[in-house]
Amino acid sequence: MNCSDVDRILPEIIDSKARDGAPINDLDFEFQAHLRNCLHCSELVSDLKLIASEARQLSDAEEPSPNVWLRIAAELRSEGLIREPELVSRPVMVRAQRGLWKAFWLAPVAVAILAAGSYFLTHRTTPPAMQKSAKSVDPEPQIQVAEQPAAPPTSTPAAQKSTTPSRNQTPHVRALQAPPDDSEQAKLSAPPATDDQRFLSEVSSRAPTMRATYENELRAVNREIQETREYLRRYPEDMDARQHLLEVYQQKAMLYQIALDRIQ
Amino acid sequence: MTDPKQRITELEAVERAKQGDEAAFETLYQLHKRRVYSLCLRMVSNPSQAEDLAQEAFLQLFRKIGTFRGESAFSTWLHRMTVNVVLMQLRKKALPAVSLEETLESEEEAPRKEFGADDIKLKGSVDRLQLQRAIDRLPPGYKTVFVLHDVEGFEHNEIAQLVGCSVGNSKSQLHKARLKLREYLKFMRAEKAKTG
Repeated sequence: MNCSDVDRILPEIIDSKARDGAPINDLDFEFQAHLRNCLHCSELVSDLKLIASEARQLSDAEEPSPNVWLRIAAELRSEGLIREPELVSRPVMVRAQRGLWKAFWLAPVAVAILAAGSYFLTHRTTPPAMQKSAKSVDPEPQIQVAEQPAAPPTSTPAAQKSTTPSRNQTPHVRALQAPPDDSEQAKLSAPPATDDQRFLSEVSSRAPTMRATYENELRAVNREIQETREYLRRYPEDMDARQHLLEVYQQKAMLYQIALDRIQ
Repeated sequence: MTDPKQRITELEAVERAKQGDEAAFETLYQLHKRRVYSLCLRMVSNPSQAEDLAQEAFLQLFRKIGTFRGESAFSTWLHRMTVNVVLMQLRKKALPAVSLEETLESEEEAPRKEFGADDIKLKGSVDRLQLQRAIDRLPPGYKTVFVLHDVEGFEHNEIAQLVGCSVGNSKSQLHKARLKLREYLKFMRAEKAKTG
């Protein structure tokens, strides 16, 4: 084999792979033998293999700008391929076998929950009417007596604010700003809210397989409401936290609404 | 080969993406964005155009994600889709993805064959940046096959199917691409040695 022969067969043979590096056929044997005796061809083959191996490192060397994902996400939303989060993976509530379950009271409760959140967001003081409404709706209490109040959230981006009450705040609000004491802890561990309990009772009677799911969901959202309200008692100026509380109330209202939609 | 942990994450993300979960779509995007974009960039040598192509590749994939059954690796599926998107773009621009007739190559394109020349040697090291620049200089036909084989790891039979040529043609184009790159790299090294 000479250099011209190598030039001719190189495209076919250069990438031939043998596990132990041994020649894979007679042609390869002659090829390897030529390389041992020809510096030019051995350097050529070595360079070409080096280029190939270095090129492999380029396969994920570059990164697109963040705009690419934003454009993709926008397009997916416009095509309806991205759906808003809901309890789609949860078991669907089974319709009662006998008659219809008329739980239209869920709808006004959901609205009331949302209203409670909106008031809390937009008003620094809690009007007396709201207190009455809050008592009847009362999104705060635990589902199960055994539930312990969680530690106050630390994720809010707002800086820690002074808890000095402003002149405009009512005594009721100033009282809320005080850290919860033992009596407050007892209240938090009090028996579950009327509406939540009634809701779960209805679910149990009409669709018992769904109770655990909704109970878990309510527990999670109530815990979030409780933690955020505790935080806001200490830092009532934190608008991010207020906005978050409204969103959590919305989630709870959505939970009621989903149950209503499923059972109708 | 995909890391097993990544594969599980990927499969979970695929299932959630089928349900319309935005976070799942984004997970899949983040897992594969570099490879998709790098492939596009190598093929078209233009960052803005490469981003458009990468975007289109992901969109096509996500639109069809409901049909993914997990029989092959998700990355393989995405990879092929990306190549198809890029090749479609090259065809629209009437750029030859691969030179179908070797004899039609101009003298300027064909790499010079030098036996016994006293060349500057590449032995042992290739500057990656210089390699990127050299790839960008390749004629479109050479560049396509080189990128698909040496950068992206496609086999010749796959390249032949993708670009519509024979396996022999694919091997020949690859060899010429490598020779051309060697020539460019030696030239760059010589220039650098001159300037110090």
